[in-house]
Amino acid sequence: MRFLLALLVMVPALAQTTPQTTPPAAPGTPQATPAQDQPPAGAGQTAPAQPAVEAQAGTPTPAGSPAPTAGENFHGSIDFGYRWLTDVHGSQDVYRSVVDLAQGPRLFGLEFTIADPNRRLFDQVDVRADGWGGEPYRTAHVDARKRSLYDFSFDYRDIAYFNSLPSFANPGAPGGFDEQSMDIHRRTLSAGLDLFPGGHFVPYLAFDHNSGAGSGIETWAQDSNNEYAVPTLLSDSTENYRGGMRVEYSHFHLTLEEGGTTYKDNDQASDATLLTGDNTTPVFGETLNLSSLQQAYGIRGHSIYSKVLFTANVTPWLDVYGQFLYSEPKTDVNFSEIAAGNFLDISQLLFYSSLVTMGTGTDNQPHTTGNIGFELRPLRRLRIIESLMTDRYHDAAAPNVMIAETAVTPTSSLLISPFNPLTNFSEYVNYNQQQIDVLYDLSSRLTLHGGWRYVWGDAQTLAGELSETPFATGQLKRNTGIGGLTYRALDKLSVSLDFEGASSDDVYFRTSLNDYQKGRARARYQLAKALSLQANFQVLNNQNPAQGIHYSFQSRDNALSILWMPDSGKRISLMGEYDRSTLSSNIDYLTLPFLTQAVSQYRDNAHSATSALNLAIPGVKDGKLTIGGSMFVSSGSAPSRYYQPLARISLPVNRHVSWNAEWQYFGYGESFYLYDGFRTHSFITGIRLTQ
Amino acid sequence: MLRPPSKVWWALLAAALVTIAARGAQDKAGAPAPQAAAPDAKTADNKPATYVGSETCQTCHEDIYKAFQQNPHHLVESDRKYRHTTQACEACHGPGGKHAESMSAGDIRQPAKLAAAAADRICLSCHLNQPTHVGRINGSHAKNQVSCVSCHAIHKNGPEGLVARQPADVNRQCASCHSDVWASFQRPFKHRLPESAMSCVDCHNPHGSALPHQMQTVDANEPGCFKCHGDKRGPFTYEHAPVRMEGCTACHEPHGSANPRMLTRAQVGFVCLECHANLAQPTPAANGTLGTVPPAFHDMRVPRFQNCTVCHQKVHGSYVDRNFLK
Repeated sequence: MRFLLALLVMVPALAQTTPQTTPPAAPGTPQATPAQDQPPAGAGQTAPAQPAVEAQAGTPTPAGSPAPTAGENFHGSIDFGYRWLTDVHGSQDVYRSVVDLAQGPRLFGLEFTIADPNRRLFDQVDVRADGWGGEPYRTAHVDARKRSLYDFSFDYRDIAYFNSLPSFANPGAPGGFDEQSMDIHRRTLSAGLDLFPGGHFVPYLAFDHNSGAGSGIETWAQDSNNEYAVPTLLSDSTENYRGGMRVEYSHFHLTLEEGGTTYKDNDQASDATLLTGDNTTPVFGETLNLSSLQQAYGIRGHSIYSKVLFTANVTPWLDVYGQFLYSEPKTDVNFSEIAAGNFLDISQLLFYSSLVTMGTGTDNQPHTTGNIGFELRPLRRLRIIESLMTDRYHDAAAPNVMIAETAVTPTSSLLISPFNPLTNFSEYVNYNQQQIDVLYDLSSRLTLHGGWRYVWGDAQTLAGELSETPFATGQLKRNTGIGGLTYRALDKLSVSLDFEGASSDDVYFRTSLNDYQKGRARARYQLAKALSLQANFQVLNNQNPAQGIHYSFQSRDNALSILWMPDSGKRISLMGEYDRSTLSSNIDYLTLPFLTQAVSQYRDNAHSATSALNLAIPGVKDGKLTIGGSMFVSSGSAPSRYYQPLARISLPVNRHVSWNAEWQYFGYGESFYLYDGFRTHSFITGIRLTQ
Repeated sequence: MLRPPSKVWWALLAAALVTIAARGAQDKAGAPAPQAAAPDAKTADNKPATYVGSETCQTCHEDIYKAFQQNPHHLVESDRKYRHTTQACEACHGPGGKHAESMSAGDIRQPAKLAAAAADRICLSCHLNQPTHVGRINGSHAKNQVSCVSCHAIHKNGPEGLVARQPADVNRQCASCHSDVWASFQRPFKHRLPESAMSCVDCHNPHGSALPHQMQTVDANEPGCFKCHGDKRGPFTYEHAPVRMEGCTACHEPHGSANPRMLTRAQVGFVCLECHANLAQPTPAANGTLGTVPPAFHDMRVPRFQNCTVCHQKVHGSYVDRNFLK
């Protein structure tokens, strides 16, 4: 990856020496160069979302006159600098789990576009990269295209995933709060190449890679007697290869794709220290412990799939589409584990000193998906949309796990027991959905829509070990009515309302959507040329009154945002957003060990806000000051606070260079787990070079 | 397997037949086909409008014309496949002869001023037949009158032009309507969208999808979550049923949560107990019976049993252990 970083830096540097074969753009020509309007160093950490002016549902703004002119061969920018952090007060682990920024020199952002006026190898190459040099999120992206020949894209991301949360582990663990933690990187790489040998046939190839690697702490559980936190090395990867052909004509399209996936999981856990585990209470006078562990997963998976997609304009008033896919992923298991210590087999009331577990097995999961639908426009104002979908997983598993226990009491002997006598079983999930929507333009400003969705299916899964039957089956049957309207009263006002109401005969789980009503309202109002308001309201009410469940769930979300941009925001602009959400959930359960009736209650009453005030610095052309940030405060079952105010300044040094600085504060607090809190300040200074 | 009531299908079939019959009658009567994409047949003075070519448009709209040279839609100008060679402007705006004469905005079609469905028809006359739009018909944006030009500035070029490419730009665009969703990303435990390491389209396909919430699909039509979380994909020897049947959102709030690991409940134990309710038998007659059988007899008052995943760590599915211990 260092090579990639060097390459990303070098390419624009070299590209800047590209001779200018065409004159530069005329002064005053609007240019969509990156740059001055984009957040500088810091790459937008918690940057508030500024509503896109052109992205206004229902009231599209005519596109303005744009962009780079044909004469430019290279334009781009690079942001680099240094981040300082003050000491993290509070929990360093939680800080890393939530924020994870570190200090040091950084390449905060890089982007450039190269256009070849002679159109030899490419017409245009777009490159961007963010967060290199130690940021927890590193990305790189390349697009290259040559008209009528190819279109190539490459995307790479490396996201650090650190998670060590005291509240997530066993707070009573004698060894501390280190259970269930990880420090890994998840990397994804995607590359795709579309070829255009002719007007109608587009062959394509694509490759995806996804992997996770790092270390962590996992728990080695010795039945329910004791569990031990052991270090583990995590390593998994998935590769996907696919290729196909798109056939594109003006009235129909067909895609044929063949793909394959390979997967491997090589997680390993090992430890050679004497661990007493979470259960330090002696059992029959003996202290349980783990003195050594060697555990290795050798999981290999592979799959080949075939996919067919089509769309067609059968007539001017009828569009149809469909899709079919068949895949059959398979997994081969090769697991081994050798543990030594003082263990208890409570079923035989025996202590034993070593445990060897060997697991092999296979799993085969044919998966068939199909959907088909059409849009019918029988009248100018009427549209009828019908869709039908089916999705079927059928799973056949053949696990074979053997456990060998070496006993020390009464004498050394070998006890072999099959851990799970169920060595061949099958599960399945069948899901089907049909939906019909009718949309009617009552006038040019008012569209009504209504419809009906029917969902049905069945499933069979393994039942719990204490169940009377080896399998559990479930069914799904739900009818949903849909309605709503979109109203564009004036160019300045648009309103949309949506409603869903459903009644279920059967659902799979206690917390599934059962008898529910969901409503949503969205309104946007252009109060003045420079001032727009938007309001969102959403509510969900889900009930399952069945005996033993009594599930009641209500959530509500209200959001109001404002955008003020006088004189197109040349001197001042303000974006603000406030969101209020509430959630209430009650459901019955029986609490162990005495199976007493209890209610699981969850409440969440949250306020969140984001804002950004942009000010032009008087007397400094293109100088800009931004003040804003975000805050989140909640009460209820997980009362917490998370503040991220920031201030940012950008001062141009000359036409191509600007100096940027940023301050941001991160403060997190938790009312129930006080040791979870942290606070720190981040300071950034950097330079942006723009060509 | 259950099937929908047969009456429904008969009703649908009858509706389709009536519709087709009505359509046929309308065609016979000489009514024009409801094609918003079709160029305006006649102008105000009842003269047929004529195509004048893009160079005529350039005469007045020089800046747009120049920028358009690098716009992907410029392909329409030269590729015979699109049937508007040298008429790229009029491919969307309709024949401009009358407008060129009168210079009146009323004499040219302005897609941005049309109703969403009508504007979409113009775009979909070329773009319907492409793989990314297979779900378009069924997408909630289409059904909610969010037209193509709400997100795509057709003439524009550059970073925030025709297609927003950078994660920050994509997120800004989505959040401009979905401000309530963006608020969830201000919570402490969330996917890394505010940091621009990800964008909304990594998980959602704004053009539509076969899955609910316009979820992206990867590889063999699996939920987009598995693109990054490949280790949770399986197939596992011992599947955890909700992962396949209800998806990740059965236990996680993917947009953001106040709870660690984006869980739906503050404590792991309650995430599990709300399904694994320890009912000795599935006493509820029908609804929500999966997972109700007691998994074990843990004393939930003891802290070491309150976070179930401390021991049941392979909760997404296990290759070795049906209780997800390893």
